[in-house]
Amino acid sequence: MGTYIIRRLLYMVVVLLFVTALTFLIFYVLPSADPAALRAGRSPSPETLAAIREQLGLDKPLYEQFWLYVKGLVLHFDLGNSFVNNADVRELVLDRLPNTLFLISGAALPWFFTGALVGTISAIKRGSLLDRAAMGSALLAISAPVYFTGLVALYLFASDIGLFPLLPGAGSYQQADGFFAKIPTLILPWIILAAAFAAIYARLTRSNLLEVMSEDYVRTARAKGVKERRVIIRHGLRAAITPVVTVLGLDLGILVGGAILTETVFGIPGIGRLSFDAIERGDLATIQGTTLFLALAVVIMNLLVDILYAFLDPRVRY
Amino acid sequence: MTRSQLRLLLASVVAALALVVSACGGDDSDSGSSGSSGGGNAAQQETGAGKTGGVLKQLGGTDVDYLDPGHTYFTAGYQFAYATHRPLYSFKPDDAKDPVPDLAADKPQVSEDLKSVTVKIKPGVKFGPPVNREVTSKDVKYAFERFFSVNVGGQYPTYFSSIAGAPKTPTKGVKPISGIQTPDDQTIVFNLSRPEGVLISSALVMPITAPVPEEYAKEFDAKNPSTYNTHVVATGPYMVKNDAKGTLTGYQAGKSIELVRNPNWDKSTDYKPAYLDGIQATTNDSNASVAAQQVLTGSHLSLDANPPAAQLRDAVTNRKGQFVQLPGGGFRYFPLNTTIKPLDDVNVRRAIVAAFDRDAALKARGGKFTGDIPTHFLPPGIPGFEEAGGMAGPGFDFLKNPRGDMAVAAEYMKKAGFASGKYEGNEELLLVTGNVDPIKSQAEVAKAQLEKLGFKIQFRTVPQDAMYTEWCQVPKKQVAICGGAGWFKDFTDPQSMLDPTFKGANIFKEGGNNNLAQLDDPKIDAAMTKAAQLQGAERPKAWAEIDRMITEQAPAVPFDWDKTTIIWSKDVNGVGNPYYDALDFTFTSFK
Repeated sequence: MGTYIIRRLLYMVVVLLFVTALTFLIFYVLPSADPAALRAGRSPSPETLAAIREQLGLDKPLYEQFWLYVKGLVLHFDLGNSFVNNADVRELVLDRLPNTLFLISGAALPWFFTGALVGTISAIKRGSLLDRAAMGSALLAISAPVYFTGLVALYLFASDIGLFPLLPGAGSYQQADGFFAKIPTLILPWIILAAAFAAIYARLTRSNLLEVMSEDYVRTARAKGVKERRVIIRHGLRAAITPVVTVLGLDLGILVGGAILTETVFGIPGIGRLSFDAIERGDLATIQGTTLFLALAVVIMNLLVDILYAFLDPRVRY
Repeated sequence: MTRSQLRLLLASVVAALALVVSACGGDDSDSGSSGSSGGGNAAQQETGAGKTGGVLKQLGGTDVDYLDPGHTYFTAGYQFAYATHRPLYSFKPDDAKDPVPDLAADKPQVSEDLKSVTVKIKPGVKFGPPVNREVTSKDVKYAFERFFSVNVGGQYPTYFSSIAGAPKTPTKGVKPISGIQTPDDQTIVFNLSRPEGVLISSALVMPITAPVPEEYAKEFDAKNPSTYNTHVVATGPYMVKNDAKGTLTGYQAGKSIELVRNPNWDKSTDYKPAYLDGIQATTNDSNASVAAQQVLTGSHLSLDANPPAAQLRDAVTNRKGQFVQLPGGGFRYFPLNTTIKPLDDVNVRRAIVAAFDRDAALKARGGKFTGDIPTHFLPPGIPGFEEAGGMAGPGFDFLKNPRGDMAVAAEYMKKAGFASGKYEGNEELLLVTGNVDPIKSQAEVAKAQLEKLGFKIQFRTVPQDAMYTEWCQVPKKQVAICGGAGWFKDFTDPQSMLDPTFKGANIFKEGGNNNLAQLDDPKIDAAMTKAAQLQGAERPKAWAEIDRMITEQAPAVPFDWDKTTIIWSKDVNGVGNPYYDALDFTFTSFK
């Protein structure tokens, strides 16, 4: 196991280096907004642009710029400076991270367990009215994008503009002071985020479980007289859930890199909102920084999931 | 010196303005500059007594560009700058034409030869915490010097380039400027290398003139880029909340800004009432429709910018007293490059203007609530607008129908030698625009309009920042039509609107060119040179005539005289400042 983890960590470094090079190429080599122009403001003279390019080191050869970027990244986790926010990107990311973690951790548990439960019941009751209703609802939830369901939820249930003012609405998270005060402000975002993912997980669990339940070893277990509940839980669900956990790991990684739509609709200052603002304002340094952070989150979650495999599936050994 | 004397002087020197003005190419977050009335109801605002106290919450979707008065150049930044700093001169909400002394004690004194400007500053104005000392003229001098440093990155240096010793390119570190002298603590003198005293005195309304304490700021300004932005010290009625060391704890980039009262602000030295106890601005709000709805139906709230169409319509039609419309003091247009065939033919250009559905282009930006369709170039609120025909314009047939008139267009195409009434050539015209809305959408409208007249268009979208600096402003790129152009004033003068944008002498081939149509008409140039010397009532008349001459040449399709609508909750007495097109925190109060 130890060797495996070390190997995966080295692999992680290679992936991150590749992503770094790729984002660098996209933002520095391919046509994009000029960081010097961003810094210079409106209608700068060519002389001003030249002076700012020199100031930012943009007049240096590309390989040198890349080397300096990687050096800063490795030695100081320096993600560069946002000329739009006039702030250090690392500080921006770290400042927003707790809000994103708060959002996704509150949504992940319900979406995973609800999704697994509904998927399991649907698989067991395959073809029943319950199965059809559950899968139909799941399809509906998957089809409705978060920015749509989020806005509908706000116009229906937000305490300030909702028809049925039940829960704190957009912007309330930022207004609330302290951990416990923020919890009610996240109920709507949690529900919306969890609903979308739970639907996917329900369908995934159902299809996996149906497939597993037709395997020979399940038939053998039943032939041996093992109780049906035990067959489903011990032999069926345990194997069926493994791919779902893989997806969960990737989803969590992606969401740590930013639940862009949910954070934007509900005004939660997380990494997703930071990315959204950066894209809207052409803030390349922040886009680059959040992209790298997303890559880091995904590879770490991937590693954790692979390790978790060993515990979930007895056939997997490293 | 009286204001009218200043205006007389302005006429004699402002010719030089054209050579130095370059700072107001419009985009979608224009700087603090606009007219006073004529497109909205700014002039009818209630700016009288309000209720003192309370904290206003401003919802917003975008952050300030900078809090540093030496660096900001956009509306959001100006809104906070004018609430927290005291520039030498500023504008009251009901008059964006004539500035009033703010930090200055009186009007600027311009020498006879127009090569020096002297300003006396008020005693008793103090810096907020942690500096806590009285402002002197040396603080204004330092503010100017740091502005020119690359670390600070002042964005409109050309306005002040005539100050003797002013750097031609950004300096490394803050360097002294020999032309700025401070004979005593209450006096600052600007010695100029060119006779541009009136121009300089007019520009003293800009945030560059807000004092900066050198002993405190130099530590931050030594960094690259300067970190003064997060350590700004206030002189105005409000300050961004800070700690004992001056670090702005009330500013979280991309999240929020919290203004509190500046304990060192002395009301007796200021014309601003400052009714509110504080302002909490969020700069990363939710969906714009949700935020606007929250403002209109909630309490103690305002919105930072134009609301989306539905809420805008709701406010304008149903919620009297919950909005103000401020004229943008500029025009948005599609320049037609007069050096590229067939756009070099005036009749082809007139045909394009005639056929163009400018109403559709305006709708791409939000429709009639966000602007008026121009009939010429000088916008409402600028002297010369009425003389140029006001909203009706000079009456050219090719600008008569805002939805386009194909019959008139066909006539002009025939005059240009195209018997079918449509363009018959095969050349592709390059149309460049930004890759974000609304400029992308408006450019798509332009493409459709040109195509219906038979033109073939090569449509290219580029990052918004690159649209100007790497395409439209670079003549060698051969951009035929710029899809996201706009021009907004920093001063209330017709020359500043027409001279940089349409004078042949101002075509800069190497880049930074603001005459995007590259109109080079000797008659227009000569008229501009002559009009620059005029004064009094003759001046707007002359510029109105130039406006007519330019319009007749159809160098561009003008489609929007911008206006900004600011909304607030029903318990708020909102007051907008037409100079920077945003809510004026220093005059706004609660009912």
